[in-house]
Amino acid sequence: MEIPSFPIATMMVAATEDSRIKRTYALAEAKRASSLLKGEGKQTIMKIANYFTLKLRPIQPQPNLSNYNFALDFTDYIRNAAIIQDKKWKLTNRLLSKGEVFLTTVEISRLLEEEIRRYIEQKLQVKVKSLPPSIMNRVNRLKQLFYEKRGKTSWEEIPSEVIIAAYPPCIRRLHETTSSGRHVSHIGRFSLTTFLLNIGMTTENVIDLFRSFADFKERMTRYQVEHLAGLRGSRTKYIPPTCDTLRTHGVCLGMDEICRGIRHPLVYYRRKLRVLKMNAPVAPGA
Amino acid sequence: MIKIETQAFIQARFCEYYEKNSMNIQPPASMEKREFGFFLLKERIMLRHKSYKTAEELRDSLQKLVPSNVYYSSAYYELPEEKMEEKGWLGADLIFDIDADHIPTPCAKTHDTWTCRKCKTTGSGTPPERCPKCNEQKFEEKAWSCEVCLESAKEETIKLIDILTKDFGVSTKEISIGFSGHRGYHLHVKSKETVALGSIGRKEIVDYIVGIGLEPKLHGLSGIAGPNLDDLGWKGRIARGTYEYLLNATPEELRKLGLPKRAIQSLSEHKERILKSWKIKGPWAMIKGVSLESWGKIVEEAVKKQAAQIDTVVTTDIHRLIRLGNTLHGKTGLKKTETSLAAIEEFDPLKSAVAFPRGTATIFVFEAPKFRIGDESCGPYHNKKVELPLAAALFLLCKGAARITEDGSSVR
Repeated sequence: MEIPSFPIATMMVAATEDSRIKRTYALAEAKRASSLLKGEGKQTIMKIANYFTLKLRPIQPQPNLSNYNFALDFTDYIRNAAIIQDKKWKLTNRLLSKGEVFLTTVEISRLLEEEIRRYIEQKLQVKVKSLPPSIMNRVNRLKQLFYEKRGKTSWEEIPSEVIIAAYPPCIRRLHETTSSGRHVSHIGRFSLTTFLLNIGMTTENVIDLFRSFADFKERMTRYQVEHLAGLRGSRTKYIPPTCDTLRTHGVCLGMDEICRGIRHPLVYYRRKLRVLKMNAPVAPGA
Repeated sequence: MIKIETQAFIQARFCEYYEKNSMNIQPPASMEKREFGFFLLKERIMLRHKSYKTAEELRDSLQKLVPSNVYYSSAYYELPEEKMEEKGWLGADLIFDIDADHIPTPCAKTHDTWTCRKCKTTGSGTPPERCPKCNEQKFEEKAWSCEVCLESAKEETIKLIDILTKDFGVSTKEISIGFSGHRGYHLHVKSKETVALGSIGRKEIVDYIVGIGLEPKLHGLSGIAGPNLDDLGWKGRIARGTYEYLLNATPEELRKLGLPKRAIQSLSEHKERILKSWKIKGPWAMIKGVSLESWGKIVEEAVKKQAAQIDTVVTTDIHRLIRLGNTLHGKTGLKKTETSLAAIEEFDPLKSAVAFPRGTATIFVFEAPKFRIGDESCGPYHNKKVELPLAAALFLLCKGAARITEDGSSVR
């Protein structure tokens, strides 16, 4: 029964036309596949890897490569591992030699999970034209069930007023350096500007912040700030880089307690706001 | 700001260069898929989104525009002349920039100078937080690069080549290196494997090379064992870095690292034993009084020494414009000069990059430290009229450290 159930399930999930449902389903299927792979021999794993054209090679256990069963081309590794958060998946923490990353069977199964997840997600991109009403009913019930379980995500409102006390340490430092007119790197300026625009500071106020720079040119700054705010060109509103990226470029100067639990400066801001709110004395009459 | 007469003088020399050396300017591979950009000295603007089909067209443009800086995209595009979002990104070379600016060098940049914007007080080295005289925080900075700076940049480049070839398996044939014409080196990897990598993938490569997020524990450092000298990848680098560090570290340096007294004493007393220990399993478990935490701090130093200090932004930017080989650097009048992997150790950037080997010019120098261009050492100068080899004179003029003389700088 398992084999025909997969195309039917795929069709139904595709018919929901909800990207969250699709992602959840793809992830669940991929996880199941990967847990099955963990118990498989080298041959089966090689077959699956070949299907995804991964440059993978089985290796014989060697004294200085203990426990490793496979070597994977580093670009294939990065493509699948870069989004896994655990430190042990960071390329910096892997054994990398001659362009190959060494892996255990369990580890290659985890990476194949990413390939499978993308493969299924792609399969779910199809537009399902029309399904018989009896099946559509089931699809709708599926949707309803999903929303009941997961709820619709909604962001807490960010207050319109800018709360400096809720800035993450990196942004606070950038803000101070900028206001005193000292040199800030390009990525630093980008991070600060996009952060401020995203927490609701007006473009005018952001531009004013840069006035103390010795090389300040209003026209140029206005153009750039408005571009980042999504008011020009491609109309994309830019968001600040992730914590990970800020670390790479030396903008992150070490973490505080909240930093340890988040991956994005904007999430820090929301969390800190919540903490501040909880600790704030209750206003009289409230 | 460079005065207009001086600017015209620079422009005229650059023009001669592009007329005489046109044939030495080689376009990058797949030039028709690249974006070209030029900085124009007189107009002070960047001309971007240009594209050329043949080397001749490009050379023609250089002679007509006489730009102070010439760039091309590391990226390949379907339509290089379109706006960024409509170019159609096809891939990009993997590029690295090593700039003395980013490296803590032994010379401590004492040759750099700063001037307070308010009271015009000057000083050398990195500017202070606040002006000692008027408390102002804004400074005009002038960066110079000395032989020590350039040598440090070269050492980092050699480390980078080692990591790329041994760990990433990049073939030496896929690597090209060039002196930027100012303070550092560019390294390009042209490989089928990496061309399609996005920004996130390139960031992982950068983090590996710089050692960002490295956990010694995940490389085998525990209370009872640690990496060996001949281990592969970062493991071996950690061991070799630790070896090197402990060989040279003074008790003072160990103190600065935050090691407790007992550990410092133990490490100093057992230097011989530590050296010998590398022949077997390393010193990790055998030196009493050195805790795992202390080893962690030592390894952190070792990682800093083994990592290559690259500019992290350049490599992760998949739309980057980068200087074209054999074109002039507007801040120095030197040319970007390619060198080979085999020759890099002996490469003398200040000699090979001289673009104006003949002639002299008389200029008025405001302020310049001692420097060398080609075989000639010049300076230091302070408000002085001097006749210099043309390359040295242009170097100071481009830096804004000198102007041409009223009687007309003579070029001979």
